[in-house]
Amino acid sequence: MLIGPATVFVTLGLLVPIVILFRYSLNDFKAGVMMVEALTLKQYALFFTDPYFIAAFYRTLRVALIVTLLCIVLAYPLAYTLARTQSRWKNLLIMLIVLPLFVGNAVRAAGWMTLFGNKGFINVALQWLGLIDHPVRIMFTEPAVIVGILAVNLPYVVLTIQSVIEGIERAVEEAAFSLGAGPWTMFRRVMLPLATPGFVAGAIFCFILTMNAYATPVLLGGPQFVMMGPLVYTQFAVKSNWPLGAAVAFILMSATLVLTAGANLLVQRRYRR
Amino acid sequence: MAAPLAWPSSAAVLGRTCGRWLFTGAAGGVLVLILLPLIFVVWLSFFRQEIPSFPPDGYSLRWFRAIWTNPKFADGFAMSLQVAVVAMLAGLLLGVPAALCIARFRFAGREVLNNLLLLPIVVPGIVLGTAIYVFHVELQGFFSEVTILGSIGGLVAGHILLVIPWSVRLVTASLAGFDRSVEEAALSLGATPVRAFFRITLPIIRPGIVASALFGFVVSFGNLEMTLFLVGAGRTTLPIAILQYLEWKIDPTIAAVSVVQIALIGTAMAITNRFVRLSRVV
Repeated sequence: MLIGPATVFVTLGLLVPIVILFRYSLNDFKAGVMMVEALTLKQYALFFTDPYFIAAFYRTLRVALIVTLLCIVLAYPLAYTLARTQSRWKNLLIMLIVLPLFVGNAVRAAGWMTLFGNKGFINVALQWLGLIDHPVRIMFTEPAVIVGILAVNLPYVVLTIQSVIEGIERAVEEAAFSLGAGPWTMFRRVMLPLATPGFVAGAIFCFILTMNAYATPVLLGGPQFVMMGPLVYTQFAVKSNWPLGAAVAFILMSATLVLTAGANLLVQRRYRR
Repeated sequence: MAAPLAWPSSAAVLGRTCGRWLFTGAAGGVLVLILLPLIFVVWLSFFRQEIPSFPPDGYSLRWFRAIWTNPKFADGFAMSLQVAVVAMLAGLLLGVPAALCIARFRFAGREVLNNLLLLPIVVPGIVLGTAIYVFHVELQGFFSEVTILGSIGGLVAGHILLVIPWSVRLVTASLAGFDRSVEEAALSLGATPVRAFFRITLPIIRPGIVASALFGFVVSFGNLEMTLFLVGAGRTTLPIAILQYLEWKIDPTIAAVSVVQIALIGTAMAITNRFVRLSRVV
């Protein structure tokens, strides 16, 4: 059958590894001998009792929530404009949004580093304007990470919402306007309910991406600003603590899944027609 | 046209116009926010001085020559390119038939299989990397005579996994509105199934295949999280080389490397755009 090879490949290459990873997370770790075969929840318990790990967990959640909220609000104007434009530049605009998506997070972080540094563009510009006397620290702060991840995720969310708005007949909007609705009322009573699937899909995508962000927090947050993605890597590659690394990976994956599924349910109940 | 009940007051008209401008302005601002990091990377790559301070002392092209003196970038680039091309081709070979199968036949477990094949884009890269790494560790235990852990084969296999979901998704999308009776007509007019496939089906899914080739290539070329776990010692890919350099410092050299990558991907997009309108597939 045609589908056979791909199925076998994904099963062997993805499902089996995830099962093995889960098994690893139940093992024990001893310094020096590394991994010890066991069947214990010790690693999970360790994670949720150590203040360092708990802080990383909450930091990741906080950043993910803030970025998702900002992303949805900021993505809408651009998504709407793109969906409704008749301009012949539309294709070029879409390419301009897709290009950053394609060039990778490390390259985009490099751009922010040029802006955020002590002699970076923002500090020099603010000093020139006389707003500050001494450079402000922007690199290695939470706002820097939030802005970086926000810019990384915006293209995904814009394109998701745009495609949903394109599926909504323009006539529906015009009907609202001709009945005397202002733009805000139109948005609230017509666009928001109709485009909800787009907003939800965009928000979920954005949340998942932020929870699992790697390059941006490493480069813009620095070694002190630990988020869950980099934590998994450090436990595996630097500390060689495979059981704990596997447990952190599973906590990250389950937290992401549970929260997105919960949010999805909540929205569906709220907007059930 | 029916006369409006009352003319809107001039204040309301003014407010409406301002709102319109504000809205379009916000859209433009968001576009700038998305493009800003790329603009600054390109700018920095032309600085004359090495320290990224503003305003620049002057402009120079020498950093583009400096790239090739750093073997990490040249090697990383060659490695990324090779892995991406092989992974893209193999991924298409596995993904396109599977997509045809999902789009055209109704069978038990079709939804489940579809979701399974899309799973590699849903599972976060860092989890994917750790999972495949421990899988390789276990495999290595069974087959001690061949190198699996940190091998090129293992790296390529991981990247193929990233290409499959994109080809499945984009090719099934291109078949969504396809009327099977066109194909049946060809068959009933005496075309062999092979001929019907090449003359009817293939032209229809061509945009989907071209788009999945682009997405597959780009996703593989740019992958960082999963690759971190799979590159063996002494090897590097371009995204990893860039990340490791940036963890140390930011200067015009790394900006020039980034510009080369932006140019490469921009070219790939422009070429693809000649075959399929990108605004239709993304």
